[in-house]
Amino acid sequence: MKIVTKSFLRYLPRRLSLSLLQLMGVACGVAAVVGMTLSAQTALKSFGKAIEFLRGKATHSIQRPVGPMEENHLVSLSRDPAVEWFSPVIDRQLSLKQAGQVRLLGIDPFLDRTLRPEIARVEWLGNKADATENLINFLTDERAVFLDHRLKEEIGITTEKTLETSKGSLLVKGSFPNPSGEPLMIMDIGHAQKLYQLQGLIDRVDLILSDEPGFLSRWSKGFLIQSSRQRSETFSGMLQAFRLNLEALSLLALFVGVFLIYNTAMFTVISRRRDAGILRSLGAKRFEIFMAFLFELLILGSVGGALGGWIGFLLTKLLTGLIGTSISSLYFFLQPEPVVWSIWILMIGILLGCSASLLGGIIPLIELIRINPVQALSGRAGSRKSSRRAKKVALIGLLILWVSLFLFFLPGSHVYVGFAGVFGFVLSASLLTGVILLMLHPFLRKILVLLGGLPGKVAAGTIKQNLGRTGVAIAAFMISLSMSIGLGAMIGSFRQSLIWWMDTQIRGDLYIGKILEAEVPEDFFEELQKIEGLGGIHPYRNVQTLYQDTSINISAVDAKVLEKYARFGWLEGGNENWEPVKQGGVIISESFSRRFGVKTGDTITLEGRQGPVEFKVGAIFYDYTTEHGLVMMDRSTYIKTFGDRTLNNIGIFIDHDHPRKSELIQEVRKRAKARGLPVLTGAQLQQEILEVFDTTFAITRSMRVIAIIVAFFGIAGALLTLFIERSREFGIYRALGFSTDQVAKMTLMEGLGMGIVSFILSVGVGTVLAILLIKVINIRSFNWTIFYSPALKPYLVTGVTAILASIGAAIYPIWRVYRTYPQIQIREE
Amino acid sequence: MVIIRIIDLWKNYGEDGSGAPALCGTNLDIHKGEIIALFGKSGSGKSTLFNLIAGLDRPTKGRIEVEGRDLEDLGEKGRTLLRRTKLGFIFQFFNLLPTLTAFENVFLSLELADRSKPELALKALRDVGLEGKEQRFPNELSGGEQQRVAIARAIVKNPSIILADEPTGNLDTSTGNQILDLLTRSCRESGTTLMMATHSPLTCHYATRILRMVDGVITEETSCEEISH
Repeated sequence: MKIVTKSFLRYLPRRLSLSLLQLMGVACGVAAVVGMTLSAQTALKSFGKAIEFLRGKATHSIQRPVGPMEENHLVSLSRDPAVEWFSPVIDRQLSLKQAGQVRLLGIDPFLDRTLRPEIARVEWLGNKADATENLINFLTDERAVFLDHRLKEEIGITTEKTLETSKGSLLVKGSFPNPSGEPLMIMDIGHAQKLYQLQGLIDRVDLILSDEPGFLSRWSKGFLIQSSRQRSETFSGMLQAFRLNLEALSLLALFVGVFLIYNTAMFTVISRRRDAGILRSLGAKRFEIFMAFLFELLILGSVGGALGGWIGFLLTKLLTGLIGTSISSLYFFLQPEPVVWSIWILMIGILLGCSASLLGGIIPLIELIRINPVQALSGRAGSRKSSRRAKKVALIGLLILWVSLFLFFLPGSHVYVGFAGVFGFVLSASLLTGVILLMLHPFLRKILVLLGGLPGKVAAGTIKQNLGRTGVAIAAFMISLSMSIGLGAMIGSFRQSLIWWMDTQIRGDLYIGKILEAEVPEDFFEELQKIEGLGGIHPYRNVQTLYQDTSINISAVDAKVLEKYARFGWLEGGNENWEPVKQGGVIISESFSRRFGVKTGDTITLEGRQGPVEFKVGAIFYDYTTEHGLVMMDRSTYIKTFGDRTLNNIGIFIDHDHPRKSELIQEVRKRAKARGLPVLTGAQLQQEILEVFDTTFAITRSMRVIAIIVAFFGIAGALLTLFIERSREFGIYRALGFSTDQVAKMTLMEGLGMGIVSFILSVGVGTVLAILLIKVINIRSFNWTIFYSPALKPYLVTGVTAILASIGAAIYPIWRVYRTYPQIQIREE
Repeated sequence: MVIIRIIDLWKNYGEDGSGAPALCGTNLDIHKGEIIALFGKSGSGKSTLFNLIAGLDRPTKGRIEVEGRDLEDLGEKGRTLLRRTKLGFIFQFFNLLPTLTAFENVFLSLELADRSKPELALKALRDVGLEGKEQRFPNELSGGEQQRVAIARAIVKNPSIILADEPTGNLDTSTGNQILDLLTRSCRESGTTLMMATHSPLTCHYATRILRMVDGVITEETSCEEISH
């Protein structure tokens, strides 16, 4: 190996603590990206696999546009010349006491084995010898089910066993292979119909078609026919915004990671300036210095990247579950398979580490090869030069800021343009840090003198004098803190908006039934109507369908009850907006309006049971239930259009001043209990929604933590570099009469000073970031308005984090101060 | 034979060259094998002159010729090659690479000159009296020993010119004498031109030619006595 390269590489073991910090910085940056990306990919891949598995060999599926279809159509389907094979399906969800929610498929075992042969490969739990007897038992026992192998093992079933579920107890007869990883339960379709009170009804029919156009010409009216590809696209489309959110988080992680690596590379350059000067004076070419430094960067990138790959893999254990839970809560029931370790994860980590090192190291590399050997040999560049440089960098920052502003105001642009604008803003803020630090310096000096006396004064000077080192560390830390404030304020505002929205819509005293799994029998609704004294009994139906080939939701409500008891948030107008609904029109959510460009007074066409039906849009309301768009209509209109009488939920409204209010509530509870229907109070339902919300943002919150950890290593690295670089100065301070405690205090004040400046800057940048996320990103990706509500909490949490992290980052250098004393001397290394 | 010729050399500080002058129209001819002591106070322009001769810095005006070739005409590559093969540098603060051993610091010079023979580096260290200390890192050596390594690093490639900027400035008198003795002896033996920038009168006794630099202008001195005044 060339001695030039060796002279650089020797720094790695020589300054082990600093190398480890740099390594951890790279590793954390890479881990954040690998963890987030891999988890998102795995979850989405599992999603795709689940869709594929459920589809089996079916080429198409047929169902009613809205609600279940009548099973008597099966006869006609079986006779249709285009149908090569068909299998009716009931596709529902069920809660297991021991394993949470699972998907329950009701199928005809004889018809379905052609479409989904894996399911037919059952391993019996009872008398394994006699398959025929087992099959007969399965077909005749109306509580008999099969579980997939993984679910069976998770619950720990080895013999036939009874399972407690939200629909009563079921008997596990066997298990089957399920490559999708989604927890699955199979039941005979007849028994499933009974379990879900769907006698004579099925959810859909999966088909193998030989002649699509012919089939469409005979069955289009009143039915929704989708090819398997269309069906997959519909499901994937549902996750578009969610996927975008995950991609943005991964990018954000990469941004912080690259920033940190830039930070690391910059420190390395600064500590190699003198060596580079010596080498140049001895006749080393720029290229040789470039290669030596590049090699060092790549070693840091490779080792840090490999370590980051491994930490990222560990992170996926946490993140994959969180993403799966979010997807399940919001879109489609999913339990992603755990990420399996592969050497490729390590390779990706190394590739990322090296690429980010190159990206982050490119400017420091250029600086190193352009180094003026005379200046480098005469010592560090003066502060005047640093401040001049800071001003130049700030000018570039301002330019990027202008470009970002232009991107924000670009009319009708894609959310990616919005993201580019946000990244531009964050980048410009980081480039402006140096100049703002210079402006804030007198104020910082006062604070540090107040806190630390003379050592504080020296520390303030050090931060300013070493702008090249401190500026980058402060910028990296500021970005992380801004992310914490921005994401915190955005989540807080969203939560506040959600609470406001729930208060407008969920105003009932009781809610019977659970939207996802428990349907409420219509006769129960009729039974409740007979109870005297109930102010309003609100039948609710929510169903997914397609509009312009994309997934939307339709809600059936009782307009009269809601007009009286709810306080909808309207984009325009007030309660008079219910009038058109009562007359057969619809109201639409803000997300539907923005997504499809539909306005009040426009007409939309939905596919009804008897073909297309036109509806006039009466008003637009704020809604956070689905970003895909919601069309709300009166139940009478809904039944007339779709012929679906299913009820997901019943809301009970009792006037506040009703003398028998608690008695009435008890009465309703008693009757619901008798039917085995779950009952929630309005407050409980709101709480459940908030829990789903909090689960959804668990990933975002975890990203905040990762960003802070990454930045912590950045600031710790900066402090340690300052310490190593200035050990001679420390010797001078000692000679001037500074005690070791004062030198240690100086180091602490430097850390604290950097933390304080980072926090002050992040208050501004974080607030703007929150507003951008709310006003630009959310509207463009989710099509809904979040009302910005300023709150103190994100600032307080971030402030405390900044102070603690900067003190924490100073601990090791302080320890080194005490450990090194009295060896700190006024001499060259 | 003139090995270095300096013609009307000007150097002004500041990025655009409009700052205070460090060299004001210096002219000088240096012959092969001369041992020159260049005296001057701090800030008189000695180091600036050395940096210009080594091609580390560029003059504001004027010319420098080394072995008859104008440094400006050599270009960046040529100047780097010159430092590799023809020039040796010795600094006041030794400027050894802290991560390399004494041997590696010396061998680095050979490697850059494309003469990677370890025995030459070992011999150079032996010649400066550091036998047995080849594997020590700079921080494990005394100041005098570090400067010996720097001398070995300069002489090992057998350069035509050695530029020594305050070679004894960081050493005590006794060690300083030893270093000067070693350096001048080595240059005499190999016929290397040695140019020492100094403000220590001690150096005067080892030089064959004495120069004084005041405010960026060089004048010839005749004796050591003149220097002490």
